[in-house]
Amino acid sequence: MKALCDWIDSRTGLGEWLRRCQAARVPGRVCLCRSLPLVLVLAFALQAITGVFLLMRYCPSSDTAWESVYWLQYETQGGWLLRAIHHCCGQAVLVLLGLYLVGIILRGTYRAPRELVFWSVLLLGLVTLGLLLSGDLLAWDENSRSATLTRVGFLQALPGVGESLFKLAAAGPEFGNLTLSQFTTLHTVILPGAFLVLLLLRWWFVRRATAADDAQPTDGPFYWPGQALTGVVGCLILLAVVFGLALAHGTTGQRRGVVLGAPADPVEFYDAARPEWAFLGLYGFSKLGVFGSGTIVPIFVIPGALVCLFLLMPFIGRWRLGHVFNIVLVLVLLGGNVYLSCKVLAEDRADGRHQALLRQGELAGARMPVLIRRHGGIPPAGPLGLLHDDPKVAGRKLFIQHCASCHDYVGPARDDIQFGESSAPNLFGFGSRRWIAGLLDPKQVDSDHYFGNTAFKRGEMVKFVKQELAELFEEAPEDRDLLILALSAEAKLPAQREADEKDAKRIAEARELTLIADYCTDCHQFHEEGRLGTAPELTGYASREWTIGIIRNPADPRFYGKRNDRMQAYAKTDDETKNLLTSRQIELLVDWLRGDWYEPEQ
Amino acid sequence: MENASSSDSNRPPCGCGRSKGPAEESRRGFLANTATVVLGTAALGAPLVVGLVSFLNPLRHKRQAGRFFRVATLDALPEDGTPRKFPVIADRQDAWTLYKDVPIGSVFLRRVGPGQVKALAVICPHAGCVISYDATADGFLCPCHTARFDLDGRRTDEPSKSPRPMDELEVDVPGGNEVWVKFQQFQTGIAQKVVKT
Repeated sequence: MKALCDWIDSRTGLGEWLRRCQAARVPGRVCLCRSLPLVLVLAFALQAITGVFLLMRYCPSSDTAWESVYWLQYETQGGWLLRAIHHCCGQAVLVLLGLYLVGIILRGTYRAPRELVFWSVLLLGLVTLGLLLSGDLLAWDENSRSATLTRVGFLQALPGVGESLFKLAAAGPEFGNLTLSQFTTLHTVILPGAFLVLLLLRWWFVRRATAADDAQPTDGPFYWPGQALTGVVGCLILLAVVFGLALAHGTTGQRRGVVLGAPADPVEFYDAARPEWAFLGLYGFSKLGVFGSGTIVPIFVIPGALVCLFLLMPFIGRWRLGHVFNIVLVLVLLGGNVYLSCKVLAEDRADGRHQALLRQGELAGARMPVLIRRHGGIPPAGPLGLLHDDPKVAGRKLFIQHCASCHDYVGPARDDIQFGESSAPNLFGFGSRRWIAGLLDPKQVDSDHYFGNTAFKRGEMVKFVKQELAELFEEAPEDRDLLILALSAEAKLPAQREADEKDAKRIAEARELTLIADYCTDCHQFHEEGRLGTAPELTGYASREWTIGIIRNPADPRFYGKRNDRMQAYAKTDDETKNLLTSRQIELLVDWLRGDWYEPEQ
Repeated sequence: MENASSSDSNRPPCGCGRSKGPAEESRRGFLANTATVVLGTAALGAPLVVGLVSFLNPLRHKRQAGRFFRVATLDALPEDGTPRKFPVIADRQDAWTLYKDVPIGSVFLRRVGPGQVKALAVICPHAGCVISYDATADGFLCPCHTARFDLDGRRTDEPSKSPRPMDELEVDVPGGNEVWVKFQQFQTGIAQKVVKT
């Protein structure tokens, strides 16, 4: 055994190295903050391991990138956890490097002879930002494509070389297959290689600097095992944080791990695209518009100048005042970054349009596995076709695009759509018992949720509900409930199917009593009673066919006729090319409004 | 320098002496150093140059020159001048893949007079996001950095994030019904309207 050890020792010098390690001492005392470099090495190893396994399952091209990530996220055992760990650890590395850099500046250990140590840490930070940016694109979902396109697009603002730089960065005039393969190379080879080289350089520069200022401690505690153990504790803390973040959304369900949005559309743009958290401050800064139009100053000149200033810090810090300047600069930048990030988040939260679009993106992303499993797999033409023909997603999107500037869609659910001041009825639960009860309620009929912001506020219906109907219902409160049941049953809403079946007797009773005819047919037509032309028909009120009809042409005599307020006719003619919406689009919209879409059985 | 020239003159004239003076050593050392550096660079540089040539290939890719596409019919445009977004359908090339007759972009069209149509590009001149029509404000809104434009594409927020108004596209309405638009894309982030090449 000893012979073997000696043989290894003589060939490798391992024993000598181990003895030196054992003799090494720590300046001062054992401290967790001193274990940061070791934690960084661990984080790199973690990224390398998870990265290699991710790369084994990833296919970078515009037809396969999202699909392969989908496969990992939803159909590969543990795939979601692999993605989540890789994603969260990447963010953690950035935070660690930020802490490390701030620590160096606060303690002033960037001064001679440690300039190169400081620069290598600074460059590690920049490389990590590059890794985050390039990694973001690879999922090729709506947000990653649009947000990266915007970022890379900023290159075009550079005078003279802008367009060429964009083409080089995107590997072509548009984002596509080659962009993905280039970003994959950047993210998996070039930048990790640079990171590793910088880590080694940092270690070497620390050694040189320690030797140069003769700071080799002779009396402090030994590195081994005290500091080494503390280092391992630091690593375990990092692991705990990374796993905590990765498992923050649970281990089951759609939201586990890192969200995968809907697949990127090659020409459409994701309206709710926002940069990652690390860049929110810069985004908020460019949004301030303090430098007027154009992007060169906030995106290139100022960040570039800041990087140069950071590179010069070791020299500025040679003066006492310079060191104070460096500290103030770092604190101001940190504070400004946090302030601008919070400002952006607060603005977005208050922006109803952005929230609706953001929710739309979340819904679309979460819907993909449902649609793909229903279809049995992703069709060769790509997954977008499934999404474009799904009422739950496409219908809601059509509502946002064509209806939400006037109509709200506000209910107790998270899916609210509210752009600001509405000027037409709230269509959440249109035709349901609750909706009709509100319509027939004298307190609500002229509120914002119904006719409050329309020309009908002073119309016959509001007058009737507030006076005559209120009195009639006071005399016969039972009629009110029956009328609501019967009218709502006309809609045949899928969500009310069971309730309608349960109340079939009462609905039949209402029909026998001819309640709708008695109360409503002075103005409305209901089957053979009443006539068209004064108010919308109540036969099949709010049914699929009725709702399609009113969207096609609300000014048809069957609906509002000449009294139509401001609502557009979305399909007045039979020629699809002349209409605002195609027949299929209107069907999707109506199916969404009625909650009529496929849901998997639990 | 002086040292070298003086030792040069001390050398035997035939140059066949076995003894190596310090000058010769330094000269041979210089030659060897240079040769090593040059050849080493060449050995590393050759593959690097070949790699760079293929890396720079995207610079040679030119977009198709802007041409007119039939985008809509006049009947499809609202009478009241409300803008409407229409897709432009053509072939799209993504490196090795050719997609036949797919949307390659969109344009906003709106009536500005009898038989007259105005076309605006949907791409925001600021950062290349896609502008949407905001019916509440009766104008255009870019969702990324909240740049606002009126129906003619003029900037309405001061100071605007956008360096120039929305890009107007050439329109032709031959025969008074079909709307043809010259579909072009322009560089973003600059005040001038420069066609992307």
